[in-house]
Amino acid sequence: MSISHTRLRIASSARRVGTTRRALLKGAAIAGAGLVFRPMAPFISNAEAATPTLRLLMWQPYAINETIAEFESKFGAKFAPTFFDGNSEAFNKMKVGGTKDFDIVQGDGFWPRLYFRQGLTQAVDYGKIASMANVFPDFLPPNFPLLADPSGEHKVAAPNCWGGYGITVNSSQVAAGDIGSISLLLNEKYKGKMSTNSRFEENIALIGILAATNLGTISGPRPDGNPFNPYNLTDAELEETKKLLIQQKKLLLTRYQDYDALDRLMRGGAVWAAPEFAETYRHLTVLKQDGKLDFDIQHVLKPKEGGLGWVDTWMISSGADSERVELAHHWMDSFLKKDNYVRVVRSTGYGGTVDLRDLLSPNEIELYFQNRSSEASQLHMFDQPSSPEKWERIWSDVEAS
Amino acid sequence: MTAGTLQITPRRTKLHRLFAYRFALLAGPGALFIMIALLLPLLSIVVFSFWRTESYELYADWNLDNYRVMLTEPAYRVFFLRSFFMALAVTLACLVISWPVAYFIAKHGGRYRLLLVLLLAAPFFTGVILRIAALQGLFGPIGLINMTLTEIGLPPIQVLMYTPLAAGIGLVYLYVPFMITAIYLSVINFNFELLEVAKINGAKPWRAFIEITWPLNWIGTAIGLVVVFIPCLASAVTQRFLGGTQSSSFGMSLAQQFGETGTWALGSAMGVALFVSSIVAIVLIGRSINLKRSGFTGVINP
Repeated sequence: MSISHTRLRIASSARRVGTTRRALLKGAAIAGAGLVFRPMAPFISNAEAATPTLRLLMWQPYAINETIAEFESKFGAKFAPTFFDGNSEAFNKMKVGGTKDFDIVQGDGFWPRLYFRQGLTQAVDYGKIASMANVFPDFLPPNFPLLADPSGEHKVAAPNCWGGYGITVNSSQVAAGDIGSISLLLNEKYKGKMSTNSRFEENIALIGILAATNLGTISGPRPDGNPFNPYNLTDAELEETKKLLIQQKKLLLTRYQDYDALDRLMRGGAVWAAPEFAETYRHLTVLKQDGKLDFDIQHVLKPKEGGLGWVDTWMISSGADSERVELAHHWMDSFLKKDNYVRVVRSTGYGGTVDLRDLLSPNEIELYFQNRSSEASQLHMFDQPSSPEKWERIWSDVEAS
Repeated sequence: MTAGTLQITPRRTKLHRLFAYRFALLAGPGALFIMIALLLPLLSIVVFSFWRTESYELYADWNLDNYRVMLTEPAYRVFFLRSFFMALAVTLACLVISWPVAYFIAKHGGRYRLLLVLLLAAPFFTGVILRIAALQGLFGPIGLINMTLTEIGLPPIQVLMYTPLAAGIGLVYLYVPFMITAIYLSVINFNFELLEVAKINGAKPWRAFIEITWPLNWIGTAIGLVVVFIPCLASAVTQRFLGGTQSSSFGMSLAQQFGETGTWALGSAMGVALFVSSIVAIVLIGRSINLKRSGFTGVINP
């Protein structure tokens, strides 16, 4: 939209290049009008400048054309997104002056609290987001504490979509008894038929749960006095995790780089088990329902040892002025409205934090985890590694082995 | 005579000065761009390499810890050695493939020479990721080669599926056009009559190649070696997509420091190490060039 607009402006400028008598007369008239209306100048601005712009630093899948068009038309605003791939990339952008460039930023897991603590975002007023009434209570503070600051006084973000980092399994190939545990990913029986992604945090955290289970430390008292958190592993647990990851590496066909790759590998039967964000699971399930897949597919959201989860959120930049803060609340409200949110889950394929059970088919209810919101609280939410430096060293050792 | 000289000298100096101003005017923007786009980031990387990162924050605590970690932790040595030997193997493979192709085009290409060289650039009409994806579609477990083999009842070629060899083939595919172009640009200026003279004097073709063609075209070959070896040493994307779990390279680890792990200080030290290694490689290859032996005198109009 903005590109075509720019093109129109360029084209009209090009047409004005030649100087004609008409152009001179027009210029003189404009100059005269300028002199006449000069005293009123502070009160006049052109239409384009008056259009409020909402500048978002966001994940691309949420930039849904119809949603944006409806928002722009309803609020007379311009939607200006900038996309990022990972939380740390967005965080870095905001740290280096991004609060002046963006009004909304997205993040998941522990990031909203970190943004708020660092003064990069400001509190979200749930009272201005009527659609919050549609959100499952499982995703609202205090049930879901990560959306509020530790004191619970300020809401730091509004929820968006959610999911886990469960294990998608070709259940026609993998024995039923082997499904349901993280140890499947270390099972020699399936050597060369497994794949994981290349993100170091999730690889370490997921196998860290298994390591703590093997060591028997998962349910015991923790050095920090808090419940077990796979992102805060002890040195002994990290060492065991490294050992298991090195063991696992020999069994992997590859580390998939994107979901298209995993999709192809699983569809072609080259991979039978892979931890993922359920995107491939959903795609393969739809193919199965359409009769285009000749094997069964399962997704273990929470393995018996424990699992990882995430909730994407919307935050408001601390640099947003009052007008843009209003607009940001309008955006969140519009986004979370049921009729729009149906579009969101169908378009992104992610789990919905908004209760849409009255609008979705039974298949879709299952596909978008509409009956499993309570499981979110049982998952270990994506968090900041206790020491990224230590984790980097562990991951390098694994990759170099 | 003396007066004449006095009249001429200032005029030449004035002209020279004018030429210098014009040159500065023309070269200035380019030099400024290089300074801003190359030197400043490089300088910042050198500075960061002596700092410290902790939980995604960069602290200006001057220390040598990143270099100590990089040199003492075995993982980074493994990454570097993997990258070094991969770059070496790919460069040699490119050299072996490129010489006959460049020689053929230069000698027998006739009026199609330019077209043939331009055709080498055809893969560049698409992005690097697309080219790697195409290779994935060829080599992978469900790629064209292995699917065809499976269809006709043969076992798939395991060594092509997410292995260092697959990554090596990918790198050769990506960089061989650079090597061919560099050698071609050298061979195109080679006087082939010298080979006729060698033949008349009884030299066999291989001896003529070793003693005449190869040394007189060494500059083109050396440039080819540099333009293939240096990017291969730093490469990450090809290994990531084609190499499987045993191909993690120095470039991949470096990219991770600046991306996911946020350990920029260590990544900067790795960047400095890579830069220094590249400079060493360039100097070593550069020192092997004998300009006079190659027919270059450095004087355009002697």
